[in-house]
Amino acid sequence: MSSQEQNHQENNRNAENTTHFGYKTVDKDDKVSMVASVFHSVAAQYDVMNDLMSFGIHRLWKRFTIDASGVRPGNTVLDLAGGTGDLTAKFSQLVGREGKVILADINSSMLNVGRDKLRDRGLVQNIEYVQANAQYLPFEDNTFDIVTIAFGLRNVTDKDMALRSIYRVLKPGGRLLVLEFSKPEHELVNKAYDFYSFNILPKIGELVAKDGDSYQYLAESIRMHPDQETLKSMMNDAGFEQTSFKNLTGGVVALHKGYKF
Amino acid sequence: MESLPKPLLKIMPQLMLQQVMCSALEIIINKALSLNINSNEQLNNLEQKTLAVKLAELGFPLCFSISDCKVLVTKLIDRADCTITTSIKTLRELKKEQHLTELIKQDKLDVEGDIKIAQYFASLAETMDIDWQTELAKHIGDVATHKLVQFSKLVKGKIDFASEQIQADASEYLVHEKQLVVTKSQINHFNQAVTAVNMQTEQVENRINQLFDNLRIKT
Ligand SMILES: C[S@@+](CC[C@H](N)C(=O)[O-])C[C@H]1O[C@@H](n2cnc3c(N)ncnc32)[C@H](O)[C@@H]1O
Repeated sequence: MSSQEQNHQENNRNAENTTHFGYKTVDKDDKVSMVASVFHSVAAQYDVMNDLMSFGIHRLWKRFTIDASGVRPGNTVLDLAGGTGDLTAKFSQLVGREGKVILADINSSMLNVGRDKLRDRGLVQNIEYVQANAQYLPFEDNTFDIVTIAFGLRNVTDKDMALRSIYRVLKPGGRLLVLEFSKPEHELVNKAYDFYSFNILPKIGELVAKDGDSYQYLAESIRMHPDQETLKSMMNDAGFEQTSFKNLTGGVVALHKGYKF
Repeated sequence: MESLPKPLLKIMPQLMLQQVMCSALEIIINKALSLNINSNEQLNNLEQKTLAVKLAELGFPLCFSISDCKVLVTKLIDRADCTITTSIKTLRELKKEQHLTELIKQDKLDVEGDIKIAQYFASLAETMDIDWQTELAKHIGDVATHKLVQFSKLVKGKIDFASEQIQADASEYLVHEKQLVVTKSQINHFNQAVTAVNMQTEQVENRINQLFDNLRIKT
């Protein structure tokens, strides 16, 4: 084997075993624990920071997601990477006593903050909490009418695997909604957004949450996340049909939707 | 008012003004409900029920769902139990003598689904009697409150009247158009029929008694 071929093979093996953690290239096995440490560290301040960093607009993005979900009384919903449970809270009210919402997250700290918050709001009847990795969902095939993953997919190590796993647990006729940062439509918005994310956001993180690194990761991970069209074709590859997306706030965020038939 | 300006309608989804509107309505309505101790029973009747209101000028539906005595305002039209389609213009023009049925016939208003749900919602809206002045002054000061209250009195007048109309006319609609409810005259008619049957039964009874008497005399 020539040294060139050897190099090539080595690179391939590296590509297979590595992934992005923000702008850094890291071992796939390491990414899980690195993401975990980010969310363990931000869990307590997560909600305050979310409001602060997005000027409260994340609430409207989430409302948009609920409006697009077509949720009905009696539905079974999975709020994947659900963190502190904003979507779970709304879904819990909209599926009623006959329905069920499962808040699933890989991170115990985020789940605990979510559980406490929802209990304080008196939302107890139809919510279950499950610690789970999106890549290996511990649910039967064809369980859910709706699966949502909001600002979660970009943190998942193997996104294709997660999409296939979600597809498996959806009922036929069920739908997936992916709410995630994306690529702004206009160059000007893109520039302003870049400036905000890399210069201001980590500073707010440092000042308020005393954790600039986590918010630097946040900004980098957003840039590394697949753009609208790429994510749409990833969903198609995983088996989803009638896939579509809607840009929100000029494409800073996009809501992707796909069905399992 | 004509429809909202086209550029505004176009930009609404981008700025998510629809979600802003739903969110604001949700806050105001739930605040009003929390101040009203009499609303819980009515809310229980409406658990997990949804009324959708499609206003032509708005370009998107407003859906009011009840969950655990709270109102959720969404655009989830698929879950509506009753949908009212009309326009702000029609609601503004609503005159005392104009009836819901008339508006329906003129295609100015359409009610689809379970009209009782619309009635429940209308009577709930009527019970929301709050001292806006005091409530608002707590948050935004006296001068702003005065201006807002003047404006909202105007709006409230319209809403009160509309809900009165919906309540009064919905029963009329049920009776005449859908023939679902028994009217007073139908009850009178029924009562008269029962009285008549009663009298006839008495007559038959008398007749039988007479026949028995006759038989006894003969034997
Ligand atoms: C930015 S938070 C979003 C929380 C919530 N969905 C929201 O919109 O506010 C991302 C969440 O994804 C979770 N997460 C990261 N990797 C995951 C994985 N592989 N499986 C499940 N959850 C994961 C994190 O623990 C974290 O709670």
